[in-house]
Amino acid sequence: MNIPTVKDNETEVKVDLTKEEIEGIKDLMNREPNATEWGMFDIMYSEHCSYKSSRPILKSFENAVENYEYVLAGPGEDAGVIDIGDGYCVAFRIESHNHPSAIEPYHGAATGIGGIIRDILCMGVRPIALLDPLRFGPLRGNPNSQWLFKYVIKGIADYGNCTGIPTIGGEVEFDKSFENNCLVNVACIGLGKIEDFEHAPSEAFYPGDYVVLMGGSTGRDGIHGVTFASRTLTEQSEEDRPAVQIGDPFNKKLIIESTLEAVKTGYIRGLKDLGGGGLTCAVSELTGNGDTGATIYLDKIFTREPGMTSFEIMLSESQERMAFIVKPEGLEKVLDVFRKFETNFAVIGRIDDSKILKVFQGDKLVVNIPAKALSSEVPVIPRAEKRPKYLDKLLVQKTPELKENLDEIIYKLIASENICNKEWIYRQYDHEVGIRSVVKCGEGDSGVLRLIGTNKFLAASVGTNSKHCYLDPYEGAKGGLVEACGNVIANGAKPMAMVNDCNFGNPEQPESYWFFSQAVKGMADFCKELRIPVVGGKVSFYNENEATHTAIKPAPVIMIIGLIVGQENIVTLPFKCSGNDILLVGETKAELGGSEYHSVIYDMEGGNPPKVNETQVKTTWNFLFKLYDKHLVKANHDVNKGGFVITVTEMCFKNNLGANLDLTNCFDNSLRNDELLFSESVGRFIIESEPKDYEKILKIAKKNNVHVIKIGILISSLEINITGIKNSKDIKLDLNKMKNLYDFTIPNIMEI
Amino acid sequence: MDSSEFIVEVVLENKPAARDPVGETIKRDLLAKKGYNSITNVRSGQYLRIYVKASNQEEAKTIVNKMCNDLRIFNPITQNFNILKVSDKKK
Amino acid sequence: MPIKIAVVQFPGSNCDLDAVHVLNEVIGVECSLVWHNNFKEAEFDGVILPGGFSFGDYLRAGIIAAHSPAIEQARIMLKDGRPLIGICNGFQILTEAQFLPGALLQNESLKFICKWVNIKVENNKTAFTNRMKLNDILDIPIAHGEGRYFTDNLKELEENDQIVFRYTNQKGEITKEANPNGSMNNIAGVCNLEQNCLGLMPHPERASEEILSPNGTFYGKLFFQSMIDFIQKRL
Repeated sequence: MNIPTVKDNETEVKVDLTKEEIEGIKDLMNREPNATEWGMFDIMYSEHCSYKSSRPILKSFENAVENYEYVLAGPGEDAGVIDIGDGYCVAFRIESHNHPSAIEPYHGAATGIGGIIRDILCMGVRPIALLDPLRFGPLRGNPNSQWLFKYVIKGIADYGNCTGIPTIGGEVEFDKSFENNCLVNVACIGLGKIEDFEHAPSEAFYPGDYVVLMGGSTGRDGIHGVTFASRTLTEQSEEDRPAVQIGDPFNKKLIIESTLEAVKTGYIRGLKDLGGGGLTCAVSELTGNGDTGATIYLDKIFTREPGMTSFEIMLSESQERMAFIVKPEGLEKVLDVFRKFETNFAVIGRIDDSKILKVFQGDKLVVNIPAKALSSEVPVIPRAEKRPKYLDKLLVQKTPELKENLDEIIYKLIASENICNKEWIYRQYDHEVGIRSVVKCGEGDSGVLRLIGTNKFLAASVGTNSKHCYLDPYEGAKGGLVEACGNVIANGAKPMAMVNDCNFGNPEQPESYWFFSQAVKGMADFCKELRIPVVGGKVSFYNENEATHTAIKPAPVIMIIGLIVGQENIVTLPFKCSGNDILLVGETKAELGGSEYHSVIYDMEGGNPPKVNETQVKTTWNFLFKLYDKHLVKANHDVNKGGFVITVTEMCFKNNLGANLDLTNCFDNSLRNDELLFSESVGRFIIESEPKDYEKILKIAKKNNVHVIKIGILISSLEINITGIKNSKDIKLDLNKMKNLYDFTIPNIMEI
Repeated sequence: MDSSEFIVEVVLENKPAARDPVGETIKRDLLAKKGYNSITNVRSGQYLRIYVKASNQEEAKTIVNKMCNDLRIFNPITQNFNILKVSDKKK
Repeated sequence: MPIKIAVVQFPGSNCDLDAVHVLNEVIGVECSLVWHNNFKEAEFDGVILPGGFSFGDYLRAGIIAAHSPAIEQARIMLKDGRPLIGICNGFQILTEAQFLPGALLQNESLKFICKWVNIKVENNKTAFTNRMKLNDILDIPIAHGEGRYFTDNLKELEENDQIVFRYTNQKGEITKEANPNGSMNNIAGVCNLEQNCLGLMPHPERASEEILSPNGTFYGKLFFQSMIDFIQKRL
């Protein structure tokens, strides 16, 4: 990559800008910018800050604020915010910290958490939950993947636990494509009163307001962190280690409490966190958005190291810093809050109506940029997209002849890394602090939190299936939405809004860009049809191994927030009562492409992946809610990796129940045995219901045109017996053996 | 007339009864498995480097000793406290 | 005069609001969150030191908070016989302040553990356990990285009846498997000689409401109800 340099009197600055961008900037400024100003443009024009590669595609999402009454803030804001009634609002956002975590997993993951907490905090609400969707190379036999896995989780645990924010859910996928490019995405949910949210806009409207910096001190760390995220990892990256920062969760906790208390004074008129792009991003966004100007005095800023240049101060990405816009008559009251918590602060400038951002170091004017120039739309770089040729071959790959015993296959699947118990991970997370966690890790498909003071509950789920997306990014992204929504629905919640984190390869490669473009189209189409507002998103490009040019499998990670009204409407995963019916809701198709069955048993990536039928999805969801209204569902788990037998197994564990399944005439005759057992067709659920309600349920299903079959009943002995498999002997699974295989895969690898 | 600055290096270690799981883990799970059989033991602890203004090294040591005891910088139930080294802070 | 309880908030306390909620909404007693520098013992009948990471757990969990003026105020309450409970980080602070014997060290597994466990009631005469029955098995959650209890005078503790809770399995057996962090003798909580001060690693404020418990129990309430009974008897 050609990295041009620009010169100032003393400093030669490398900027990651194209020739066109450089000319464009000179035009905007009407002169040659100085080194500090170049540094600022470099940051603002990086992919990470400007989305220059992705904006045109992201425009396909329906405008959430305009089209949904309860959406208060959408894409472009620091977090998506929705009104949930009773005067409360929920903010949520998902972020990626992939490149730093691949180099230094502990601090990379920890600062990722730090960053996402700040994004929620600057909406004026209290962060109340974290979720972590992660992707690594397979663990077995790979010490590097084990090292990354261990320390990413420890980084998230230590930071989340110290700040007292519970990690209530997450997801982890293992695939070879993530070996050199692990994906660490982190999500945060915040809860607060709507009036507090209204006190924390990210624009400064009022000339005369003070700009106050609070939190950590400014040092030389992370300079060029955002440009680092916008390049692929290479050997050079090892030397980039200084670009990874060290977080301070204790300081963050003080910042959370003092920020919330400051917001409650009513004197805050703007709030922004200093994340990627540091002071540059924060101040220019505040003034540009608000059509005002600002004068900043660098000498007022508390620095960690002596002799920092203006370039270094404006570009520093030191952690744990917040910028407040404060009403003049309330300045002392706000500063008193900071004094109480002993957080560092400095009044660094004032807003004015000049529409220019002026920065002084001592008496010297070091930055003089029209505010609009920094936040105006960075010219889009049109990218070419091309469907990879190799996909055709992959899609028609045939599943080999069934040679193994079906029982053996199921034992292998329950023990596989992508399916096995993730308790090793979530035991390290305090998932109960805040006393809101009502459905905890392991008890449901989503984490469910109570909202004290209301009869409402929040459900949240994250994830995607990168193997499905690899074969068909359009259908795969839709499938990810079906699954994330299915997770909250399985706990009784109605999906309210979505945010996404698009992790893809190098956008300059047409094949990689095609995956991105298709995935976004899939999400946009699905959300529009199913009426789910897209209130935020993030794009992480360049997740690719430069040496081998292998990109990660596409991972458009989705997060869904859902709402349950009334405690009696919460549904959980574990089977409850011997003698009850087991029903499979939704149609099973011959869709083994990208399945765990293919990869675990045959080391195969191809085949026919699951497709989404929006009409069927809609009717299935409506059907479930009708059953919920009548309290006919005793347990619910959505079917995903490994197929429905795995789903049934997982539901048996907690209450030590077993199942007798009879599959005679349950399925389409054209389906092979392995297709019906292991297909990962999306939009299906396993539910438990009482025998007396069976007829009623069938009637409702027929009325709603939903495919429901009774596949068996619950028993009290610890086994799963499956009869009625055509041309094959019955399957007999020992649940104790299943539980052991499920429980010990990860501990056996990680606990040496 | 105290005009010099000294550096007092201190280490805090767990008493044997309180065990040292960090040291044990490094020895058992890392060194032994990677073939470093010549290493017979590993102990972990906390290291503090304390900068003291005093008239001489002895006084510096005394101040640090008092501080660590008075303020419970080390926990006398579970930890041992050792001054490793006192040196002059070079200008 | 209505009973007033304080939850002392240190920089880094996390479970402070949780305790305030339980006292106010579940037990129905006036409970306030008090910033550590502003804590005045004369205003309160009982005090809770909550869980969290006071001062980031820097140097050692609880050591810096132990030097706070709030602890001097608490010492007066202690001498006066009023009830004082330290939960998790609060327990760590109480041992560093030497209100309670022993110390809390890093978990044996070197990992943070968050899970529901069982503890057995070994002493039901303290200010916080008078509503419990001896040998009752309670289910209650833990969430800590430094919960391994250690003391250099175990004999004295046993003779003086200062061991209040031990980790057990569901059947009440004190086993190694039931010990989540390697605590000496499975000790989960201890009290002072006068039995008005209790420290424990598990979180009763997380086990006071049925809706939060995986088993639908709410043993946590007993701790706080005992405290109220104790205060009322003294008045």
